[in-house]
Parts: sequence; C-alpha cells; structure tokens
Amino acid sequence: MNAEEILSKLKNSIVKGEEGQSIEITHEALKASIEAKVLLNDGIIKGAAEVGILYQDGEYFLPDLMISAEAMVGAMEILKPELLKDAKGEESGTILVGTVEGDTHSIGKSIVIALLEGQGYSVIDLGTDVPPEKFVEEAQKVNPDVIGMSGLLTTSISKMHETVLMLKEANIESKVVVGGGILSIESCEMIGADDFATDGWDGVQKIRSLIESKIKVGL
Amino acid sequence: MPRNWKESNKRFLNTMLGIPGVDRVPYCANIGEQMLTRISGMTLREILSNPKTYANVIMSTTQFLKSDSVYVPTSYGGPYEAVAFAETNNRTHAIKWYDYLPIFIKQGEICKNAEDVERLEIPDHNKIKIWQTTFETAKIISKTTKFPSMVGFGIWAVVQQLLGDNAFIFMRKEPALLLKLCEKIYQSQMEILKNWKENVGRIWFVFVTGYAFNGTMMSFDDAMKFEGQFIKKMQEEMKTPIVFHNCGMKPYFEEVCSEIEFLAIQGSHPLDINYWVSFKKKFPNVSIMGANIDVSLEMLTGTPQDVEAKVKENIENLALGGRYIVNPICNLPFNVPLPNIMAVPKAVKKYGIYPLS
Repeated sequence: MNAEEILSKLKNSIVKGEEGQSIEITHEALKASIEAKVLLNDGIIKGAAEVGILYQDGEYFLPDLMISAEAMVGAMEILKPELLKDAKGEESGTILVGTVEGDTHSIGKSIVIALLEGQGYSVIDLGTDVPPEKFVEEAQKVNPDVIGMSGLLTTSISKMHETVLMLKEANIESKVVVGGGILSIESCEMIGADDFATDGWDGVQKIRSLIESKIKVGL
Repeated sequence: MPRNWKESNKRFLNTMLGIPGVDRVPYCANIGEQMLTRISGMTLREILSNPKTYANVIMSTTQFLKSDSVYVPTSYGGPYEAVAFAETNNRTHAIKWYDYLPIFIKQGEICKNAEDVERLEIPDHNKIKIWQTTFETAKIISKTTKFPSMVGFGIWAVVQQLLGDNAFIFMRKEPALLLKLCEKIYQSQMEILKNWKENVGRIWFVFVTGYAFNGTMMSFDDAMKFEGQFIKKMQEEMKTPIVFHNCGMKPYFEEVCSEIEFLAIQGSHPLDINYWVSFKKKFPNVSIMGANIDVSLEMLTGTPQDVEAKVKENIENLALGGRYIVNPICNLPFNVPLPNIMAVPKAVKKYGIYPLS
C-alpha cells in the first residue's frame, strides 16, 4: 500500500467510525514512515471534515458522530507522542471545557472534546455540573485559548452568564464559546460570550475559528 | 380566593378532544420543579417532604401563574424513573439533588457497561419514596381539582439517564443490547401506569416524552426502533389518548404523527409559524400545545410586549376552530422574568376569547 492509499484508508475509517481499523492503519502508517503530521492533516482531519458535512446534510446523526470520534481518538492516542516529538514548540491551542453548574448533560461536550482531541488540540475536561469558581481557577492555571461552556437546560443560560462575569472579574482573557441547543444570538449576547454553538459539530467549528483568529492577530 | 378548577378543566379537556363550546383558548404553563421552588420559596427537598405540601405547592403555583392545567412534575418518567432504577440497583450515588432544580442523575452511572444492562432490575415503584409521594400527591390533586390525570411515559429519556453518552455508541455497536434496555424501561414504565391506575385512578392522557424523535439526535428510523415501537405497544395495551411531547430543535412531528395516533402534540420548534399552520391542516384531529412559543427565547430575553406579540401570533394562526392550547415550551425556568411569564395569560385573555375576531 502506498502513502496515498494509507491516508485514504485512515480517512475512511474515521468516516465509518471504525476504531479498530483506524488504530491498525495508524500503526501501519508510522511503520511505513509517514509523518504523524501528515496522518493528522490528510487522514484524521479530512475524515472529520467529511463526517461534519454528512452531519450537516442530515445523513449522519449523533451515534455516527460518536463512533467517528472514537475512531479519531483511537488514532490520536498513537499519534500524540509522535506529534509531540515533531511539534518543537508549535501549539495548536488549549481549550478548557465543562458543563455548567446545575446541568449534568454531557453529550454535546463529549462530542466537542473527542473531535477537538482528534484534531490535535489539547483539551482539559472539567466534567459536568462545574461551578463558575472552578472555571476561573482552572483558567488561571492553564491560560486556555478558548473556554467552552456547555448546557442543555434553560437555567444553564444564567449560570453561563455568571461564569462569564466571574472570568472577566478575574481578568481571564480567553475567548468564551457557549454551547447548547437552547442558545440563540440574543441569549449569547445576554451571557456575554464571544460566540455560541447549537450542537457539538458547530462547537468545534466555532472554537477552531476563534483559535485561528487569535493566532492571526498574534495574541 | 379559591380557584374555579371546573372552568379550567372544561376548557382544557374540550380543547384537547376537539369539543366545541370552549369560552377561550386554554393556557398551560409547564410548571416544573424550578417554578415550584421559585414561587413557594422552598427547596425541592422541602416541597417533596410530604404529599400534602407538594400538592399545595403545585396547586397554589398553578393558581398564581393562572394556568389552566395542573400536573405533578415528578410523574414525568425521566429523572424520576432513573431514581427508581438507581435505588433498585444500588446506584444511589448517581442521584443528585439541587435546591431549585429537578433531581438529576449522573448520566451513565447506573449502566456503565453491557453487564450492568444485563443485570438491571426493574423497580417496584410502590416501594420507591419519590413515587409513593408522587402517587399520594396526584391523589390529593385529583380529588381537589378533578383535573384529568396525565402521566408520563418515555423510553429514550430514561435510556440516556441510565447509559449516558454510551447510549449513542451502543446504538451503532450494540443495538440488540440497547433494545434489551429499552424493553426493560418499557416494562418499568408500564408498571408506573398500572400503579397509577391502582393508586390514583383513571389515566386520561399518557404524556409521552418522545425525546428520540429529534432530528439533531438520530434518524427517524432509529427513533421508531428505540422509542416509537414501544409507544405503539403501550398504546395497544393502555388504549389511552396520548399527548406527544418533544422540546428538541428538529422534532419529527409530521413523521411520527403519520405512524402513531396522537391526541395532541406539544413542542416549540420549528419556530416558523407556517410550519404549525401547515401541520394543523395536515393533522386536523391532532391538538397543538405550544407551537412556536419557547421559554428560552422571547420569554427569557424579551419584554412582556414581545411575549404578547408571540402569543397573539399563535392564537391568530392556530386557535380558529379550536384544538389549540397556548403553552410555552418547555418547563418554565427559574430565571425567566415574572412580567414575561404573566404576559402570557394576560395575552390569552386579550386575544383568545371565542369566537375569535
């Protein structure tokens, strides 16, 4: 199998959500001396992009996103040490995520984490039912590029607002993305977040574009 | 002043059943735990401490918010059914109490893996404290208000509580096992309905929380497989009219109404009023509760005037000929401004008196 075939197989294993296959091909690719960065960009990220299109077109649903994410994470576990060796100070971005206090829903957050990790970002998961103080404390420790807050309940909106206020009081300059099906432009403004997402895939796009814009302006 | 429940009951029941002669469009507020705690000033534990207190808080909050419907929030089989499973299967550490929110279950704690699903025991609700309180409370409310009893039923809501994110992974990797879990939940839900009949009395409507029927979550075929077939089975067994609820962003209302017979649907999406006008034309015998009034939009971020305009739009487009109930979706959250909440019944009185102009 040549490099092109291997990359195509890796991409397809992500699209089909075949975790065993994605792990096997990644091992094989490294043995064939294909660079980890190439595998990430031309295999995993391309696969993730195709999954996103299928989801947006209504051909894929949450179960498909979840198993694709598993396949990505499986491959990434093998690639991570190689990528770290190659990184030489390059950083793709750190994201702090959690479901806000009073809300224990995790599906949207899980998808965001898996997809971001699968694309090489460093993600710190605070879990569910996270109090505002915890977001502030962790943000002070890790100085993330983006803080992602998730919530499914309407009460989560006021908790997101409270958390944003506390982050501002603590002079945390990270960008904030809030996520949840209940959110709208109006509620995003009310919360004081930089952007909002109504599903996991949307969340990944918003976080990526915030990180990219941060890199562009050299923050 | 004591509440005239009789008028509300007639308004609600006749509208649901499509019986003419209703004086005005009914208004139903989804009064859940958050509103009960907010209006009463009590914590959830205090409210649920005994059936008398619970019933009084429900009835006084309903009266205060001028709602035409009264129901017991814990009879909705989502988190409270998970509580029953947690207690029966020694997983009480998964239960989380909040002062001013519904009880929550740490998702995925009750069934962490396939073995947990296989071993899962079905609860006897008569032995579970929260359900004992629920049955007793419903009995008091039923006796005082004579409001037609509505009891919850839902499969996917419970699946997610028990399995967490794994529910979606199992759907692709272990579908047979997932169906086994759905079957166990079905049996448990049927046990609630049976107990309700024995403890409280007649069930007028089964309130089905069909959370699987959401296009942002799964395909319609999967929704039918993992929830719809069980709704059909329950309907055959119970022969009770169903109110079908889905508060998701892309509900499969038209598709599911073509497969299963419902008395009413309850939801707030899509937000385009034309969808609801077209739905009413396609399904003239299905009552609509809600339409495009969503508690997280105008009610949360707008003004009383915005809320009034929304109610007016819904009544003007959907109430002609009956079978429409003004019903902001979903449960009224703790943080919605009170003037916005009160703007709904005010607008209903202003625009919803039959015959409509």
